[in-house]
Amino acid sequence: MDGPDVGWYLIVAAILFGIGALGVMLRRSPLIVLLSLEIMLNAANLTLVAFARQQGNLDGQIFALAVMAVAAAEVAIGLGLIVAMARRRVPLDVDQASALRG
Amino acid sequence: MGNVLVWLVWFVAAAACLGTGMAVVTMTNPFFSALALIGNLASLAVLFLLLSAEFLAAAQVLVYAGAVMVMFLFVVAYLGGRADAPWAGGHRLVRGAAVVAAAALLTEIVVVLGLAWGDNLTDPAEISDSFGDPAQIGQAFLTDHLLAFEITSIVLLVAAVGGVVLGTTPEKEEETA
Amino acid sequence: MIAGAWVCLLSPLAGAVAITVAGGRISRSTAAWISVLTTFVAFAGALVAFFGLWAADPADREQVSTAYTWLASGDIEVQLQILLDTLSSTLMLIVSGVGGLIVWYSMGYMKGDEQERRYFAYMSLFVFSMLMLVEAGNFLLMLVGWGLVGLASYLLIGFWHHKPEAVAAAKKAFVMNAIGDATFALALVLLIWATGTVEFGDVFDQVDSLSSTTVNLVALGLLGGALAKSAQIPLHTWLPDAMEGPTPVSALIHAATMVTAGVYLLVRASPIFEAAPDVQHLAAILGAITLLVAGVIALVQWDIKRVIAYSTMSQIGYMFLGAGVGAYGYAIFHLMTHAFFKALLFMTAGLVIHHLEGEQDIRKMGGLKSVMPRTHVAFAVGGLALMGIPIFSGFWSKDGIVSAAFSSGDALGYTLAAAGLVGALLTGLYTTRLYFAVWRGAQSDLVKEHAHEGHGEGPRSMTIPVGVLTVLATIGGLVVIPGVWEPFLHWIDETAEPLVQATVAEDYALSAVAVLLALLGFFLARHAFEKGRQFVTNPGIWRVLERKLYFDEAYDALFYRPAAALSVALRRNVEEPVVERSLDEIGSGAIQVGGEVGRVQSGLLRTYAIAVAFAVSVLIIVFVAVR
Repeated sequence: MDGPDVGWYLIVAAILFGIGALGVMLRRSPLIVLLSLEIMLNAANLTLVAFARQQGNLDGQIFALAVMAVAAAEVAIGLGLIVAMARRRVPLDVDQASALRG
Repeated sequence: MGNVLVWLVWFVAAAACLGTGMAVVTMTNPFFSALALIGNLASLAVLFLLLSAEFLAAAQVLVYAGAVMVMFLFVVAYLGGRADAPWAGGHRLVRGAAVVAAAALLTEIVVVLGLAWGDNLTDPAEISDSFGDPAQIGQAFLTDHLLAFEITSIVLLVAAVGGVVLGTTPEKEEETA
Repeated sequence: MIAGAWVCLLSPLAGAVAITVAGGRISRSTAAWISVLTTFVAFAGALVAFFGLWAADPADREQVSTAYTWLASGDIEVQLQILLDTLSSTLMLIVSGVGGLIVWYSMGYMKGDEQERRYFAYMSLFVFSMLMLVEAGNFLLMLVGWGLVGLASYLLIGFWHHKPEAVAAAKKAFVMNAIGDATFALALVLLIWATGTVEFGDVFDQVDSLSSTTVNLVALGLLGGALAKSAQIPLHTWLPDAMEGPTPVSALIHAATMVTAGVYLLVRASPIFEAAPDVQHLAAILGAITLLVAGVIALVQWDIKRVIAYSTMSQIGYMFLGAGVGAYGYAIFHLMTHAFFKALLFMTAGLVIHHLEGEQDIRKMGGLKSVMPRTHVAFAVGGLALMGIPIFSGFWSKDGIVSAAFSSGDALGYTLAAAGLVGALLTGLYTTRLYFAVWRGAQSDLVKEHAHEGHGEGPRSMTIPVGVLTVLATIGGLVVIPGVWEPFLHWIDETAEPLVQATVAEDYALSAVAVLLALLGFFLARHAFEKGRQFVTNPGIWRVLERKLYFDEAYDALFYRPAAALSVALRRNVEEPVVERSLDEIGSGAIQVGGEVGRVQSGLLRTYAIAVAFAVSVLIIVFVAVR
């Protein structure tokens, strides 16, 4: 294969995953958290495709396609939640949304 | 010659990917974060092309960058000022723990990759030219993985219904409350 | 033959169970009949067993019948077994016979009481327990019977449980008997540890090989049980109080049968006592002391039942004396005759009390002779037998004990014999005093009130048993005429050989002395009565005697108060602060921990996410390591 080994793609995906994780854990706006979540999902997709290439098997790509579809659905719901929160004048702050505390 | 080109493209795409990723997480203005994510998605599409996943690259651009990000931008526009997302604190311990956790995950993955590199990650398999073709993807999806296909469609249906439910206006509830 | 013994044992149990199970579905008189009939069936079984034994070869006169192995633990095996020999068959006849008569008597006495069914269930339970005690083939079963009679006694003393005195008396009886039970049980433990068995035969075979300390301790423990059950000094204070129970109960349990269980034990376990002669002599000494003390206290009592109770205590002292010097046959003989005349005395007293509608104070009685002539005769017979006047039954048995003590020879023997003779004087005194106070002299006001009730002296169910016992008290002693005819003694000797044998001359000589002393007592008492005087005029002595030598007060100060103080102190200083509070602390501690753990559920998204990230990182390490 021309270009870098599959492993390099995996490294990129790993770093991307870490960045996304940081974003989820550190930001307070639910919108940004959702965006970071997208980054993590994309990193996973990259991993899947890379392995598909490594093994010459299309299953990885199929999986990545399914992930993409589910991620899209999840974003729709998440954004709906955020809009609902905004409409009900709930402050858009993850740290303040603790109604489910035990 | 081709090799050098491939390496170059890979390098640029990877750098853009990581850079825009950092931008998404660090920017305070959500609009800029969303735009950065579009860039992220685009560079990912390039990386997919390099991995012979042509259909997937196209789907990425169409679905993600096209539909999902548009939704994001719509919401950002709707929220206007309320969507402002400053870095605020949280307890110092929490922030520290977050960084430590992320770093730990990253280190572990890299270590595992390193351990497995020699055995598993050299010599990728030989593939035909039509690897990653829409025809091939379609074939696989609709024969080998039909169940996944159907379930995915149901998930999408559920999401659509859920979206409608979430969109009910609060005024009606205030009347009945 | 042995089947008769089993029937004897189980018939009253069946009666008790039947009455209990039937509950309110049967009438009160049906319950009474069940109890009476089952007891008489037991008597029939006892007769069958007795005659079977009599007809058998003397070598065969010890039969053990095992139902099944009750307890098997390590090397120890305890069977559910009954022993039929001359001793137990005699006791069986006495218990079921006299018991049957008394239960029949109580049909009339307890008639109309609301709780009749309960009473008769308890009575049958008692008869069963006593028969169990007597027929047991090993020490452990005997202890079972021992405890059950204590229970039955408690239930029956406290029968009228709305009377606080009765409840207190029942508790007192039970607790004092528990002391005896404890020593008995400890003796058993020691016995099992030393010999590895509880069967009578096996234990007696091994007695000689035990160390003298062991034997002495075992004998002491058994003696403790006997003292408590037979109300001898020092464990005697419960018997007078036990008179709170119904009169038939006093007759059956506290005169004829249960209190004689101690004597039975002394005779049954005689091999053990013979191997521990000091303890045996102690038994005799305590019997003699009780004999005298009880006789003296009886001189100042006003309650008719209490006089008879102290008399019982005194007579059992005679039996202990007899068993203590080794005159087992005479001890059991006196047990039998005493059962006859003491039950008779209680039952006639019961007739009097019944007639006078519950009055028991002899100061309020007098001149009943003309009102209740037949009862008077019965009482007189009982009194004569008690005093040991020939030819009544008490004469033959009591004097036998005195002469046996005399013939054992040493200083102890002579002292004991002297005590027995003084006891005869005392018996004459208090019996005559009682007789004259109740039956002679001018009619008291109370008696005049009830003089014209023409319905006779009592229902047939009460008078017939009294009549039977009158006959027995008269002729029952004629089974032993020293020098002429001694079948009863020979019979008992087969099981428990006596240690001493008085000569005929000694026997008759001492008997003459005893009779003279009794008659002296009679005349002295009659003289005092006619002069309207009591025997003890010194107010100080009177008070001491009336308070029963202050035994109750002493026990209260020595045992009850410290125990009560200790328990109060423990409650205040240990139970409340430590035990109760620690329970509270456990509760509040659990609540606190729950609160702390609940803080993890912060409801914050970020903390959850961080937790997940950490968990995943740990899991990765685990997976990599495992691979």
